[in-house]
Amino acid sequence: MRREAGVPIRFLGAVVLLAITLVVGVMHGPTPIPLGTILHQLVQPNRSITSTIIWDIRLPDVLTAALVGGALAVAGAVMQALLKNPLADPYIVGASSGASLGATLAQEFMPYAGLMAPGAFVGALAAVFVSYLLSRGRGTSSMLTLILAGYAIGIILSSVTTFLMLINQQSLSTIFAWEVGGIDGTNWSQVAISFGLILLAMAVIWPLVPDMNALLLGEEQAHHMGVPVRRVQAVLLAAASLLTAAAVYLSGLIGFVGLVIPHIVRRINGPNHRTLLPLSFLVGAAFLSLANTLAQSLPVIGPVPVGLVTAFLGGPYFLYLLVQHNRRRQQGGMS
Amino acid sequence: MTETPVVLALSDVQYIWPGSERGLGPIQADIPQGRWVGLIGPNGAGKSTLLKLIAAYLTPNAGRITIQGQSIRTLSPAARARLMAFVPQTLDTSFDLTVQEVVELGRLNQLSWRERLGFSGRGDAAHIEHVMAMTGVSHLAARPFTTLSGGEAKRALLAAALIQDAPLLLLDEPTAHLDPGHALRFLELIGEMVKSGTTVLMAHHDLATVGLYTDTLWVLHEGQIAAQGPSGEILHSDIVPRIYDAPLVAIDHPRTQRPLIIFP
Repeated sequence: MRREAGVPIRFLGAVVLLAITLVVGVMHGPTPIPLGTILHQLVQPNRSITSTIIWDIRLPDVLTAALVGGALAVAGAVMQALLKNPLADPYIVGASSGASLGATLAQEFMPYAGLMAPGAFVGALAAVFVSYLLSRGRGTSSMLTLILAGYAIGIILSSVTTFLMLINQQSLSTIFAWEVGGIDGTNWSQVAISFGLILLAMAVIWPLVPDMNALLLGEEQAHHMGVPVRRVQAVLLAAASLLTAAAVYLSGLIGFVGLVIPHIVRRINGPNHRTLLPLSFLVGAAFLSLANTLAQSLPVIGPVPVGLVTAFLGGPYFLYLLVQHNRRRQQGGMS
Repeated sequence: MTETPVVLALSDVQYIWPGSERGLGPIQADIPQGRWVGLIGPNGAGKSTLLKLIAAYLTPNAGRITIQGQSIRTLSPAARARLMAFVPQTLDTSFDLTVQEVVELGRLNQLSWRERLGFSGRGDAAHIEHVMAMTGVSHLAARPFTTLSGGEAKRALLAAALIQDAPLLLLDEPTAHLDPGHALRFLELIGEMVKSGTTVLMAHHDLATVGLYTDTLWVLHEGQIAAQGPSGEILHSDIVPRIYDAPLVAIDHPRTQRPLIIFP
């Protein structure tokens, strides 16, 4: 019962954490804005420069970071349940390489249309869809096949991307910068589009929470308990990919949030998705908005893409998890 | 005289293992309500495959399986789970749901939309508590499932299956890895369920146990039902030594007079 008793406290903590990181994100920047001014401008916006900075520059970026972090964390939690692997991430079945190719194609063939983000969105969804089609068939190991198909698709798409980048080296730096994953200069309409997509995906995932919990016991046991396993897997995969693509649309490829955040939340909260998913969203949102603020204001180096910061923080943590996971395996226990 | 209604019926069920010539069937069998049927046979005879076919986890190549007259193919997964529950031999998971959470998953097929959306608390709390007390897992409610011993995990899975409230219970080697004390209590519990009208099909290796507890036996040998009938008759016949290729001997239990199979 200990776990359940702590749920309200955990939610309160996560909400407070997110609120603080959002406010800090708006306060911080080339021109620091005091808290009082922010609160005043939020209630009564005017035509001052400060108001413009808050409403048109800082807020869209801060909210984008929060949305991307939350979406990636939830997508990661869903993928981990689907693949029954606590170390899976949202990009595992080809979404990242699909997004790269989509963005590269848009940049190479329509460089002035500014379609990199939509190209990435379409590419991510298409790559996952192709991986899924290839892995379908009779037999019970389709989720393992999905990982392998995603891996193979990833290699093929990456080689095409590399080829395109080599034959047109002018766009190399643009694409490279996009691939690192950064949040800079988003506008309200982009935020609104992504918010709509994320909301849609969440609405699809939420009623399937009990089925996701059953899937943690394995596909066969879930079947015996009355889960339409194949259908639920397909729907969850589509929803998680939509979340990932919406995040990629806003920010390019930001790594490790989707892997690490649900993992940490699961350690504290347990794997019940009824609380794991919303908590992952809140913590993922807080983490990425904080990481983004940090990335904007690194001393000496200056602003860097937030994807670098998350990789720098998340990479070592992932290694630590892996080593620990292995050690516990060897001791005969499970994570 | 009224006939007991048939709960499970298999007609001409055939299954070929993918990528092999070997297969199961054609199998013809049924179980009347309230019977405890033991499914015995040597390793590789197809016991687990037959259970998976009945549970609709595998699809037969031919034939028909019905539960209470309804073909399992035409039922939705949720409707099927309301008709039968399955207690697996073992369960390997790397996510530590609590015992309470695992047991509550037994209600998955009965969830209303409000419950699916998380708006109403858990209905049936009293029923869940009752089943957990009956299976002796109440004190484990908050423990992560992955930390349970073999016997505790088995009882938690039985609790989840009983929450499904299904008329047919499928058990795959229910007492494997259990010490004699836990095995006895587990089987007594199944006996209670049978007395209250549940129909049970149990794949089992321990012939002493099936002799003591089951009413009827299906003997599976090389993918075929080699014999079926009252447990006493089957165990006393020469079919048991033949299919196991061992000179096993049947004697009568000194107290219950039920047949006991022992080594020669």
